[in-house]
Amino acid sequence: MKIPVLLDRKKTKAASSGGQVRVLDGVPMLAACVAIAAALYIFGLTGVLSSNIQRYLLKIFLYCTLSSMWNLMSGYTGMTSLGQQTYIGLAGYSLTVMTATYAMSYWVGFLVGAVISTIVSLILAIILFRMRGMYFAVATWVVAEALRTFFTSWKFVKKGAGMTVAARPYPSTSTIYIIALTLCIIALAVVYFLLKSRVGLGLTAMRDDPDAASSVGVDIFKSKLLVYVVSAIFTALAGGIFYLNKGSIYPAGGFGISWTVSMVFIVIIGGIGTMGGPVLGSILYVIFEEQLAKLPGGWTNIVLGLIAILVILFLPDGILGTLQKKLRFEILSQKRFSGE
Amino acid sequence: MGTKLVFSNVSAGYGRIQILSDLSFEVQEGEVFGVIGPNGCGKTTMFNALIGLIIPSKGEIIFDGHNITKMAANARCRLGIGRTYQVPRPFEGMSVFENVLVAAVHGAGHSEKEGRRVALDALKLTGLYDKREVRAGELTLLDRKRLEIARALGTEPKLLLLDEVAAGLTEAEVKDVMKMVADLKAAGYTIIWIEHVIETMVNSTDTLMCMAEGRNLLVGKPLDVMNSKLVEEVYLGVPEDE
Repeated sequence: MKIPVLLDRKKTKAASSGGQVRVLDGVPMLAACVAIAAALYIFGLTGVLSSNIQRYLLKIFLYCTLSSMWNLMSGYTGMTSLGQQTYIGLAGYSLTVMTATYAMSYWVGFLVGAVISTIVSLILAIILFRMRGMYFAVATWVVAEALRTFFTSWKFVKKGAGMTVAARPYPSTSTIYIIALTLCIIALAVVYFLLKSRVGLGLTAMRDDPDAASSVGVDIFKSKLLVYVVSAIFTALAGGIFYLNKGSIYPAGGFGISWTVSMVFIVIIGGIGTMGGPVLGSILYVIFEEQLAKLPGGWTNIVLGLIAILVILFLPDGILGTLQKKLRFEILSQKRFSGE
Repeated sequence: MGTKLVFSNVSAGYGRIQILSDLSFEVQEGEVFGVIGPNGCGKTTMFNALIGLIIPSKGEIIFDGHNITKMAANARCRLGIGRTYQVPRPFEGMSVFENVLVAAVHGAGHSEKEGRRVALDALKLTGLYDKREVRAGELTLLDRKRLEIARALGTEPKLLLLDEVAAGLTEAEVKDVMKMVADLKAAGYTIIWIEHVIETMVNSTDTLMCMAEGRNLLVGKPLDVMNSKLVEEVYLGVPEDE
């Protein structure tokens, strides 16, 4: 980790009784982020990486996008969704239908997936935002399950048998790697700047107490809508790219709850409500997943579950969250300091 | 100095249960207007009608010359009505400073840069300045009550509604609250203060209203109201043989 090196150069923001929190942001952090991103681009474009490594990395980029969006919803806004797979499934099917049924480019597939997800999220928002907490969570899941059932019996998408992506020419792994990396960078930037904005200030207030937030002037509906729709779009784009890499989709996979399980796992072990948590979580998750794939079927989930339980028991703020608390630093914090 | 707020013949309630009936009173600019009355007489309901959580079925509420009877809650917040909750509801995961900053940015419509100044002023006025970077969830009850007031001040209200901010505090803490209200009055705020702690009502208010069964029973100088036979009867009941 590069953190200790960066710490020395960081400005210190004094806090009278809360101790001192070093915030890692500004120019050094930007430089570090640009350096990492540039390195990942160069590795991808020059073909230094084997296609296996590229596949691992692109999975990390996609999970990072998905879980950052889930973190934005649950960790910062207080909307815990169990149904983000709705948008992954819709995007995956948009991609296959556009490429296989209509013989269009996969870019059209991504675009259609994003547009459909935007429309669906706007409509669902009206219904789902009447519910809070557990009710909201379960309702989002029910929507995804309903879609899964619908797609399983929909002849146009070949029912439960699923469909194959037919992009021509089929992009190479390194092309998909570059697309996924770009999406991931944009997603992280969007989350960061959203949290730093005026709306972002209201989001955390809303997570803690929506009624009190509205009584000090926070527009709850608008803020929730923005977060929900932005999450839906990025989740859809990540889902589209995932299925371009995978090559085929079937309803139980696209609309499966295991997507949410992965996102929750990543955010919990990384650190909910932190910028870096989903990044760290995604790296660990992909490593675990690849290593555990050698185990006999079913064991993967048991071991992942055990890891999650251990982290929740001993590091309730996640790995990065606990480190940040113990060592009193925050990477790209959304916190506002009085500056006095 | 003029009239800040007028309730004229306001009736309101929840569903078919009517709580306020023909409630009328006036609040003058710059005064501390105390409200007492037995439990269930409609004090908090009056606040809810005033900030727009419920809409009266009859009567008018005039604030600063605007008829706000049917206006939406967030629009009233922008006109300058700020409230505190009887049971404090801080944004627990945020720092004290951030709690007030949210109000200054979203409630008063400042940029974050201007809001910072407004928030710090509100924290100084409420005695929370030294705890500005503390997580709100870690505050004591007194400080949570202070934070309720600071957050309401962050929205830059012209009229401040205090709902039992002294309830549950120790005697010394009640003194702190009274000093804070005096400071707020000196700073030019008009305040309506609901409280059961009699000491605060006698010593800190300019005008006192006693409510009973959703009406204005008596309004006047605090001591006159406290010593009146009517008020005594409302609190203690009327002997049956009289």
